[in-house]
Amino acid sequence: MSQNTDLLTLRSVSKSYGTVPVLHDIDLSIRDGEFLTVLGPSGSGKTTVLRLIGGLEPLTAGEIRLDGQDISRMPINKRPFNTVFQDYALFPHMTVSGNVGYGLSVRHIKRKEIARRVAEALELVQLGRFAERFPAQLSGGQRQRVALARALICQPRLILLDEPLAALDLELRRQMQEFLKSIQREIKTTFLFVTHDQEEAIGMADRICVMQAGHIRQLGTPHELYYKPNCEFVARFFGENNLVAGKLGPVQGEQRPIETALGRLVCSISDQPHLKTAPDGASAFAAFRPEALRLADANDGDNRFSGTIADLAFAGSSTVATIMAGADNAAQRLRLRMPSRIDGSILKSGETVSLSFAPHEGHLVLA
Amino acid sequence: MSGAGSTHAAERRLSQLITVLAFAMPVVFVLVPLAIFLVYSFFSVDQGTIVHAPTLGNYVRFFTDPIFLPVFWNTIVLCVSVAVICILLAYPAAYFLTTLKGRWRYALLMLLLVPLLMSYVIKIYAIRSILGLNGFLNKALVALGILDQPSTLFVFNMNAILLTLSLLLIPFAILPIFLSLERIPQTLLRASDDLGASGLQTFLRITLPLSLPGVASAASFVFVLAIGDFLTPQMVGGISGFTFGRILYSQFGTAYNWPFGAALSVALAIVVIAAILIGERFGRSRGTSV
Repeated sequence: MSQNTDLLTLRSVSKSYGTVPVLHDIDLSIRDGEFLTVLGPSGSGKTTVLRLIGGLEPLTAGEIRLDGQDISRMPINKRPFNTVFQDYALFPHMTVSGNVGYGLSVRHIKRKEIARRVAEALELVQLGRFAERFPAQLSGGQRQRVALARALICQPRLILLDEPLAALDLELRRQMQEFLKSIQREIKTTFLFVTHDQEEAIGMADRICVMQAGHIRQLGTPHELYYKPNCEFVARFFGENNLVAGKLGPVQGEQRPIETALGRLVCSISDQPHLKTAPDGASAFAAFRPEALRLADANDGDNRFSGTIADLAFAGSSTVATIMAGADNAAQRLRLRMPSRIDGSILKSGETVSLSFAPHEGHLVLA
Repeated sequence: MSGAGSTHAAERRLSQLITVLAFAMPVVFVLVPLAIFLVYSFFSVDQGTIVHAPTLGNYVRFFTDPIFLPVFWNTIVLCVSVAVICILLAYPAAYFLTTLKGRWRYALLMLLLVPLLMSYVIKIYAIRSILGLNGFLNKALVALGILDQPSTLFVFNMNAILLTLSLLLIPFAILPIFLSLERIPQTLLRASDDLGASGLQTFLRITLPLSLPGVASAASFVFVLAIGDFLTPQMVGGISGFTFGRILYSQFGTAYNWPFGAALSVALAIVVIAAILIGERFGRSRGTSV
């Protein structure tokens, strides 16, 4: 697995339907062998990216390069990619093995060879016993695996998955996530996975590309996206977050203060050069995760403020408190998440408490 | 309580009445007349009056008289040919329709179906004048130099019936084929492309097999309509274009032999039912959802 060479590159790719633009000047590199997830709300253009790469639709502008070769005009049936469609798109008049072998038989590969590779592929997706069934006789999860086997049997350079788990129930979706990830590791093929479900994205992806309104907002590992979001959209969209608006103060090494309604908050800016160069007084948000927020103790100097606990919600392993802070303890709504304890929460609803978060656990995003 | 109970009872009686009516209508208006037909086929005629005594004579005559079986067989062959011609012409038309976008698709479909609104007899007259000795077809063929002189090949014979029935019944073939083609999800075709199939491979291996149910129902539809028709053969068939429908018609009309006509109808009904069953058998698609 050569994770660092680029398999596919999108350069200044734009797409419009009629006069309606859906993608604006997208640049994206997909590395060989990685599991890349394109994440975004509906209407963000994520499925369009996949359809352009797969050749299901023509580009309006820009180019797509595979191993450095421009493939923008290559017809769909010549591209070495295969798609797992959202509704599976299994051929209803063919058996499971007919479906899985289709990509080989249209290439006039010998029957014996097809039979061998179909058996292999069905073994891989654990559907060996279902070879002679028709799609209508399978459950949703089984159809899903047939679609996957059908896509990977042609040994494509890239497998495109268009929200393939959307139609499955929660438990099955979890299983399929693990299953997809393990298959991807086993066959060492690059996966491009489109979803609107961030939990799905975190669970499977090597890297995530967050899209909104036809733009790529951020591309990075799940860890980077979670702890170093580069804009308000990612900070709000990706995981639960507390955002407090304010004005930036002068840089202090790897940290920078921000003047907010909660007072002066100090946050880390390491590895985020754009926050170092932003001018003093620029509008920004202090952002900290609910699990970073905690009751202050005597040692806390920075990032100390008070708040009133408005609500407590027990969520199994953790308990989430909704806290009103800022002017009159009413202006700013915050969330605090702490591990649940069998003898009840140490927090009481209606109580006013002193709160804090460590500077290295806070980050800044420009408004 | 009792008031509520009686409303319930009234409602129940009403729904029972509706159920009875729902079953009674087809029984009274379809099954009973058919049964009367069947019964009549076992009667006979003596000097213009029907003899109500059961006999197998009509069926014996149908199978032994050298006139009826050959005409019966030729008519079946004719109508199968009509069905085949209709399918061959209707399939490309229906396929072309599904390649059109939005409004154009349905506008053109309506245009193809407009002839169904016209009087059957007028259409036959129109086609007869096209096929006739001085008709458009002959004039065109002579003008193009394909024929030296007008041919009598196209009118008042079996060819004329074949051509006329095919033309008249094409709309009945286009509709079911169009519907079955339209029902094929586009993503199946995209999936086929995606897996490396060429346009022709996608058509032969996905589109065609998935549209076969529509083809089967179109074929049985056209066949059934063609075999029951006596007006077209009567008007364009001349003397040589003798079909089973015409024989049937003459038994009820000129010959005034209703029991024998009923027996011939029963034979025809068996063929029609068989055609519908075959169409239904092949019309059922194997997989339902995708």
